[in-house]
Amino acid sequence: MSAGTESSPKNMSGDAKSSEQAANNVKKTISDKNNENTRADTVIKVKKTIPRKKQDLLKWYGWGYKDSMFTLNGDAAYFTGQRYAIGEKPLPHLKQWAYDNFRLVGDTQPKVPEPPTSFPESRLPGNVRQELEKIAPVSVEGMDRLIRAHGQTLKDISCLRGNSFPRIPDAVVWPDSHGQVEQIVQCASRHRFVIIPFGGGTSVSGAITCPVKEKRPIVVLDTSEMNSILWLDKEQLLARVQAGIVGQDLEREMRARGFTVGHEPDSYEFSTLGGWVATRASGMKKNTYGNIEDLVVQTKMVTPRGVIEKSCRVPRISCGPEWEHVIMGSEGCFGVVTEVTIKIRPLPPVTRYGSLVFPDWESGFYFEWEVARQRLQPSSIRLMDNEQFRFGQALKTESSWGGVLLEGLKRLYITRIKGFDPTKLCVVTLLMEGTAEQVDEREKKLNSIAAQFGGVPAGAGNGERGYTLTFVIAYLRDVGMDYDVVAESFETSVPWDRTLSLCRNVKRRVREECEKRNIAHHLISCRLTQTYDAGCCIYFYFAHNTAQCTDPVATYEEIEEAARNEIIASGGSISHHHGVGKLRKKWYTDTVSEPGRLLLLAAKKALDPDNIFGVGNMVFGEDGGEDTLVKSKL
Amino acid sequence: MTKKTLIKMSETSKFIDILEPRKGECGVFRFMSKAWYPKRTQTLDKINTPQDIKDAAAASLYMEAIIEAESSKTGASKESLRQEVLQHIEEIALDKKMHVIRWTGIVALKVAFKMNIGIYVNEPAVLKVKSTMGNNPVLFLPTHRSYADFCILTYLCYHYDIELPAVAAGTDFYSMAVIGQLLREMCAFYIRRTLAGAPLYAATLKQYVRTLVAKHAAPIEFFLEGTRSRSNKSLPPKYGMLSMSLMPLFARELADVTVVPVNISYDRLMEQRPYAYELLGVPKPKETTKGLIKWISSLNGHFGNMYINFGDPISVQEYLKQIPYSDESLKPIELQTLSPEQFSQVQDVADYVVGQQQANSVATISNLLALVLMESLMTQRALPYEEVLVEVERMIKVLRSLGATVFEDDVRKNVDRVLVVQDKSWTLDKDRRLRIISSEVIDVTDELKNKMKGHTLKAETMVNAIPIIQVQMYVNPMLHYLVPSALISVIVQRGPHTRDELARHYRRLRKLLRHEFFHTEKTEEKTFQDAFEYCVSNDVVGVCGEQVSVGGSEGARLRALLARAVWPALTSLLLCADVCTELQTIEQNQALKLVQKRAESGPYHPYCLSLDSATHCLQGLVLAGALTREKQ
Ligand SMILES: Cc1cc2nc3c(=O)[nH]c(=O)nc-3n(C[C@H](O)[C@H](O)[C@H](O)COP(=O)(O)OP(=O)(O)OC[C@H]3O[C@@H](n4cnc5c(N)ncnc54)[C@H](O)[C@@H]3O)c2cc1C
Repeated sequence: MSAGTESSPKNMSGDAKSSEQAANNVKKTISDKNNENTRADTVIKVKKTIPRKKQDLLKWYGWGYKDSMFTLNGDAAYFTGQRYAIGEKPLPHLKQWAYDNFRLVGDTQPKVPEPPTSFPESRLPGNVRQELEKIAPVSVEGMDRLIRAHGQTLKDISCLRGNSFPRIPDAVVWPDSHGQVEQIVQCASRHRFVIIPFGGGTSVSGAITCPVKEKRPIVVLDTSEMNSILWLDKEQLLARVQAGIVGQDLEREMRARGFTVGHEPDSYEFSTLGGWVATRASGMKKNTYGNIEDLVVQTKMVTPRGVIEKSCRVPRISCGPEWEHVIMGSEGCFGVVTEVTIKIRPLPPVTRYGSLVFPDWESGFYFEWEVARQRLQPSSIRLMDNEQFRFGQALKTESSWGGVLLEGLKRLYITRIKGFDPTKLCVVTLLMEGTAEQVDEREKKLNSIAAQFGGVPAGAGNGERGYTLTFVIAYLRDVGMDYDVVAESFETSVPWDRTLSLCRNVKRRVREECEKRNIAHHLISCRLTQTYDAGCCIYFYFAHNTAQCTDPVATYEEIEEAARNEIIASGGSISHHHGVGKLRKKWYTDTVSEPGRLLLLAAKKALDPDNIFGVGNMVFGEDGGEDTLVKSKL
Repeated sequence: MTKKTLIKMSETSKFIDILEPRKGECGVFRFMSKAWYPKRTQTLDKINTPQDIKDAAAASLYMEAIIEAESSKTGASKESLRQEVLQHIEEIALDKKMHVIRWTGIVALKVAFKMNIGIYVNEPAVLKVKSTMGNNPVLFLPTHRSYADFCILTYLCYHYDIELPAVAAGTDFYSMAVIGQLLREMCAFYIRRTLAGAPLYAATLKQYVRTLVAKHAAPIEFFLEGTRSRSNKSLPPKYGMLSMSLMPLFARELADVTVVPVNISYDRLMEQRPYAYELLGVPKPKETTKGLIKWISSLNGHFGNMYINFGDPISVQEYLKQIPYSDESLKPIELQTLSPEQFSQVQDVADYVVGQQQANSVATISNLLALVLMESLMTQRALPYEEVLVEVERMIKVLRSLGATVFEDDVRKNVDRVLVVQDKSWTLDKDRRLRIISSEVIDVTDELKNKMKGHTLKAETMVNAIPIIQVQMYVNPMLHYLVPSALISVIVQRGPHTRDELARHYRRLRKLLRHEFFHTEKTEEKTFQDAFEYCVSNDVVGVCGEQVSVGGSEGARLRALLARAVWPALTSLLLCADVCTELQTIEQNQALKLVQKRAESGPYHPYCLSLDSATHCLQGLVLAGALTREKQ
């Protein structure tokens, strides 16, 4: 206790105003205390898999964990590390497959890049940095900035490996609460710097990549410290979760308590809840659990104009347009999603895999459609084309199914599916969840529909393999790049009636574009990954050997653009779940119509008039306005 | 109803001795064994037993969420945490055994008769509260001056056929053999004094109280002041229990909660001597069942009356008018907690209720006599009996003019009665002059010295101070009537002031004394207004144009009375200020010791030795910004 110096207590004549303030302070500390004690006590702190220094655990120059990658320069190909089922086992068929498709000979040393040592100066003024540091931890270290300068597009990875980004963020800040985000956004409004909300950095649309021409300092707001479960309601099956939680952490915590969110995009090991909301993500098991828009009950977003959130937690509302859908898909352009209330489900007692083999793509397709028509989709149902089927075989470990590729195929052919052409057959993989009876019944029904389209069951093992490979496939691109093969995927949604022609047209177009450029060794393949009442999602993989190309990335991008034009001409969409970002800006306005574009601009003006969130996706350019307008004036 | 037991005070006040009809042997037994159909506080689809309430609290979503969070934080297994919660609930929860209540009632009535107690209840006020019951939970919030407070409302409710209240009690009772269990079976539930460092306990208590309020069909009773006020005047309220109790309303689990301020006043506090010692820093002995029995068996004699007054029931919903929106409402209802705005509303309600407790206090002859006695002590003139009566009459007038409810029908008879009740403290000497009886010399042993909280006072100091402090204890409950006018009078005595200056000084002093003389900030404007008008119309101050100065001779006696009313507190404040200015930085305990030491060495009012007052004054200095508090 100490005597105040200004006001002498003896004559009891302190300055009236300052004592008023002191009284307020007392009241405030009382209520703050109340706040802390009573409002935070149901928070579940979640252990983070991925550390703040991501580069300690994750590959800085590509995808995934450091210890997990394909290696080709041995007797047999391997996948390193024990994290995935195929880990540390020889992959005897992979090298042959790579050679057949890309003339890739894995005997040379892979071209793994060295981590860069010099980085652009941070443009963030010292005083602003100090102000930020008072709110939350800040870093201006080059590596921290570099690994948050990009997503996972081919161009991103290529720039990363060559340390050739035209622009990287000037600082990274790690708030751990909604309150801190509010302060950071206010700070940005005061000092006019740009904020890019950064989740897992798995974006494949360029959405997270720094806008090249941005003159203001760019601060990446990394949400990864906001990863607590704020509350869990096991009765109503709801959870309030901070938006930075990573998919695998969220799922692990829920499973430990007998629940699941069931949202599993293929990137869910690294992507975040906030990222899912901001990109309108779609998970593998959407048939049971729904896409992100079905899972989200409520979101809270900090915009420069304040916090936007519905004032009630209700299952549905009729109250004009649903602003939840303005937040969803906002791609970091309006504000930071800080908290999300999501649905959770009890863990299903039984999870069973299955697979069906069809003589060709068409019969598999009609099977999928029929299943959708009857609304009998299990948690996941996917149809792979023949190229993917074969690639799947190439990834077999010796111990699993035995024998070389063709032998395996022959055995299948002879013993079970006589009459199927091994260069045409397609596989459907199934993931079924529920009680034992529900699963049995569903499986029976699916088998009987399959029979109508000439399909035969091919066992649970094949199905399971398909799903476990899901997470490994993403690692292929890195090994490809080590040996001058580029690979990328792109996806679309399309009505049922146009699906077959779309797939055909796109494949043909890609082949033609390759031929035009003398690219002899390439692969274009597709699968049907989601089905709806009114259509499905088609996912293309495209890879080619870059030996002939002077600028492999540019070449790839030209071909992808041609493919997207073909998609749109064939009745498909700009994207089913990857989003617009910067890659697909070109097709945005035509997709949503002119008034739709104006609406988006109006939302921007309402929520972020100073373009603090100047990441520049969709119609937004670096001045916060629209790119197209600027272009047409030129 | 005989004249003896009925005193009409106003249209809505009619104090009746509810023990009167029980006098006589079989009256007690028949009454305590009667078939009893109480009025409930709320109509619920299902009457919840004490066990139902425990189960509901334990199985709540909130406890589940707490266990999840705690387990993720500490790594403790959920099962062991669940067990811990169940143990806490067992420690906290009330039980209800009607036969225990009935038998205890019989014993208690016997003791009451031995003590010659009267329980005067403002019947119309109680009936009014009763008539509004039935729609939502009701909180009884009595003043806390004595251990007797614990059972008195339970008896009152039995008498008026109101469901027996669930009474919050400190765990010092819980640990007493037999008594702890006995009280529990009479609907007491237990709360620890401190929740710090025991998050799981704190959460369990919160949930239990919340469930109790929402699901129990009986009144919930607790003491806003948190502890027995040793000084016999209002303490600033504690907000924890009220926060927990109002949570179901803020979460809109309920449409309303009714709050009933209750004032319980005593002719004689059973604990007056230990209190006086405690105020000086001599700690109270730990409660034990043995001690209690010994104490009860010493309770022969005349303990006088207690007076229970119920304030108007307050609809919290109406009082708050608007409960601000909080994003807490986005949480599951059971997980919602108070937002900071809501918490300040709880503070507002609590402060208001304490104000209402004061407004419903009853000025008894003990209080009046104490005022007279204190004046004679200060002027060092023992008053002859007849003069005492005149002076008491004068005090009645003064207090009534200040808005007090005075319990008085026949001054002479009541003064006589109180002199019997207080015969160990106050007496008429052989010349029939009113005097205090000096207390027996106490032996200041080394052991006692070690235990003393404050400065080690001399035995002589204590002997002299104790009887006067005991008088002050009965003056204290009257002070809230006098203090506003007294401060105006004291300020003006330092020289003429403009009205604005006066108001400013008044406000500052009120703030400095906010803990010593608790009052609600909200109504201060009006309080000042009223006090000022009172001072003007009673010639305490005179107004000439802009200037306010000391009034004429007509107001002289009143001025003296008013000055004496605030003198001990102002002196304590000054001593605190002196000590802190000299030392700049000091530990609170050290400051208290120094203040006490100074008070002992100077020519001050003995009440300035009170550690309570010194603590309150230091808090006041912090509140006013003159001191800052640093956590160590
Ligand atoms: C191998 C691989 C597989 C993939 N599989 C799928 C799939 O199956 N389904 C699918 O839908 N997508 C998939 N994606 C795409 C990507 O994972 C999703 O777009 C994902 O939702 C991005 O989340 P993120 O946390 O990584 O966000 P980031 O990449 O960090 O950011 C993406 C965008 O969201 C914004 N953003 C991020 N967090 C916030 C926030 N809290 N508030 C506001 N804006 C924010 C960013 O500014 C940026 O514009 C895949 C990507 C890869 C590389």
